[in-house]
Amino acid sequence: MTTTRRDFLKITALTTGALVIGFDLEGSTTFHPNAWIAIDSDGIVTLTVGKTEMGQGVRTSLPMILADELDADWSKVRIVQASPSNDFKRLGTGGSWSIGGGWMPLRTAGAAAREMLVTAAATKWGVDAASCVTRAGVVTSGKHRATYGELVAAAAKLPVPDKPKLKEASEFRIIGQRKKRLDAPQIVNGSAKYGIDIRVPNMRYASVARGNVKRWKPVENAFAISTGVAFVAKNSWAAMKGRDALDIEFEPAPPFDSGEHAKRLEAAARAGGVVTRKEGNGEQATRHIEAVYQYPFYVHAPIEPMNCVAHVHHDRAEIWAPTQAPNTVQDRVAKQLNLDPSRVTVHVTLVGGGFGRRLGADYALEAAELSKAIDAPVQVLWTREDDMQHGYFQGASAHYLRAGIDSDGRLAAWTHTKAGSPHNARGPEPSADELKSPETAQGLSWGVYDIPYAIPSIETGYVPISIPVKHGPWRAVFAPGSVFARESFIDEIAHELQKDPVAFRLELLKGEDVIHAGDGDSKLEIDRRRLRRVIELAAEKSKWGTPGRARGFACNVYDGSTHIAYVVELNGSRIERVVAAVDCGLAINPSGIEQQVEGGIIWALSQATKSSITFRDGVPQQRTIADYDVARMRDTPAIEVHLVAGDPNPFGMGEPPVPPLAPALANAIFAATGKRQRSLPLAL
Amino acid sequence: MPQHAITINGKRQLVDVDDDMPLLWVLRDALGLTGTKFGCGQGICGACTVLRDGEAVRSCQISAVDAAGNRFTTIEGLSNHPCQRAWIEEDVAQCGYCQAGMILTACALLREHPKPTDQQIDDAMSEVICRCGTYPRIRKAIKAVKL
Repeated sequence: MTTTRRDFLKITALTTGALVIGFDLEGSTTFHPNAWIAIDSDGIVTLTVGKTEMGQGVRTSLPMILADELDADWSKVRIVQASPSNDFKRLGTGGSWSIGGGWMPLRTAGAAAREMLVTAAATKWGVDAASCVTRAGVVTSGKHRATYGELVAAAAKLPVPDKPKLKEASEFRIIGQRKKRLDAPQIVNGSAKYGIDIRVPNMRYASVARGNVKRWKPVENAFAISTGVAFVAKNSWAAMKGRDALDIEFEPAPPFDSGEHAKRLEAAARAGGVVTRKEGNGEQATRHIEAVYQYPFYVHAPIEPMNCVAHVHHDRAEIWAPTQAPNTVQDRVAKQLNLDPSRVTVHVTLVGGGFGRRLGADYALEAAELSKAIDAPVQVLWTREDDMQHGYFQGASAHYLRAGIDSDGRLAAWTHTKAGSPHNARGPEPSADELKSPETAQGLSWGVYDIPYAIPSIETGYVPISIPVKHGPWRAVFAPGSVFARESFIDEIAHELQKDPVAFRLELLKGEDVIHAGDGDSKLEIDRRRLRRVIELAAEKSKWGTPGRARGFACNVYDGSTHIAYVVELNGSRIERVVAAVDCGLAINPSGIEQQVEGGIIWALSQATKSSITFRDGVPQQRTIADYDVARMRDTPAIEVHLVAGDPNPFGMGEPPVPPLAPALANAIFAATGKRQRSLPLAL
Repeated sequence: MPQHAITINGKRQLVDVDDDMPLLWVLRDALGLTGTKFGCGQGICGACTVLRDGEAVRSCQISAVDAAGNRFTTIEGLSNHPCQRAWIEEDVAQCGYCQAGMILTACALLREHPKPTDQQIDDAMSEVICRCGTYPRIRKAIKAVKL
């Protein structure tokens, strides 16, 4: 399976179908109207979180949606993490779809429970349900008053309404508030449990020397498994030492050189591929400018390295994993062990950084294999070097861009072809036939075919190139490389035509207000009114055009939903300030959104200014954070976030802040130095 | 196996581990104090930071034999500390994994400089890596701490 937009939409759709499943727990004092909500007789509201928390704030924002429609008392809300089951068949977290996909189903679940509590109260008091008001876990009608806790026994006997009445936006009391993270107290006192912190009785610790084993000398406590040789010990340190002492020779990796690959990508992008969008023709152009942009390999490097605890019994298995893909883990572990998936329990832990890496199941399959081999529970912990050498890397891409200028000095034609690699790390790549489909090619080239600008002639394309190194999902998926190329090249054209880069973009956003790009599941909507508004806002707030600082601009519409514009400001070679204007629709938790913008900018700064992964002889040349440095406190600019709500529905913010940062910075560097940099990391 | 006497959060602990086992694993695997996190094992990322007599040190770089006889504070040893309160107040954490190291590094900074300058915050806090990018809020939280 590749990570295309289609997958995320499927996940969303299937999740939606499984939402309101009513079941009464007869005789129980808990009201459990659906899989998302349980209210006990003390009025404690337990909400289920169906998405993995990896820093994007879903364990706070998703409960806010439920709690608001439920009119729960936020101080009495508790959360539990969902595990794969009949109620939760699609728990995968990716593509910034948790909020967008959860919005209506969670509201409906909350409103259904609220309606049942109201019906129970109205029946008890003999009043019209319409006279009942709910607020913070209490129902009132005239002189009558009951807490939700007092009503749960009666409410539990009622049928679950199919189509409960949802609130008007003006009635939201929790949505739109700056709510602090529900997990914060446990995070700051050290009791929050990540995958690495799982301890089960009799658990062994293991470290694995990974590779294709050519020869090894067996020793006590060492076990050959599919990924290499595991050393099992009583603690993590002994496991790592035992593994380091193993006498192993590995087969060489399949040859691969990232420098050679970049040249091959460039040639492929210049040659052209599957056409993903074609409008007008470029015949009006009288002269052309062209450029090739390169986006390199990166590794996710979450601070919590990959790890997993597995306990395989003869007829069932239990997995504790910091995973973005619990159902995939369940299915693939079950298949590996020849068990029915219902016999594999997956506990989703907190995740110390995901960024797409934990959409894989490799860490869990390996732990399950080892647990079976040693017939004991085991934690397989990857070292930092393991994590960096055996990543599901972000795959490199090259972008060929060509602009046609007409005799009046206007941008008349646009060509953008991306050469890159469909993900190969989580399953087979798309077939050659599939790759001929524009829809598939579009899904692999966000930021290319969905160019928002009005240009008389547009032709975009995609060329797939298979590579032998593992590569997979990345924060903002395929957008960062494409948007770096597109927004930098627009800047090049603006300078070529001696136009202000912001004014030039606004000029190019005239014409139809709403356009669509792409086919089928890859069809995206671009609302130019929303994009113009964030561009104007970022320009205004940054005092664009005033002297004193070199500034760079870039914008993007992420996956047809979040509209975002950045101004990066330099003071000499220091990145002093980033001004962000963001329209992600209705803001569920403004504090959380601002966090994602700050964090997305700093994440993108690491790629834009610090490190990339290079391969020689098929091996990543970076092994530790010393070789692959990332942004730190001293690299952090002042960040201003300005929110606009251009849509009554909310959209996710984990990924949209990433893509426009690198081009905005590259454009600022050009403004400061007159030097155009077309590959990353940038030299400041 | 040798026995080492190490004082953790005010309590003297006797641990039977190899001399070369880093304090990080003594805490996590021998004593069950998993609030101290493993990030790189090379003293680069700062996730495993603990306090030794109030000074921020990397627990992955101190062997059990060197730790013996010393007093350490881990995140579990802080209770309603002004830094912890400021971290909640400023809504700092994203994934939260690095925050124990961040908070303890900030405690050490504030002990030395109760009102640190931006430069002092940069110097001290750049020793700990956060991939989620919580740095702006950490800076705010440190400035908001009232000791």
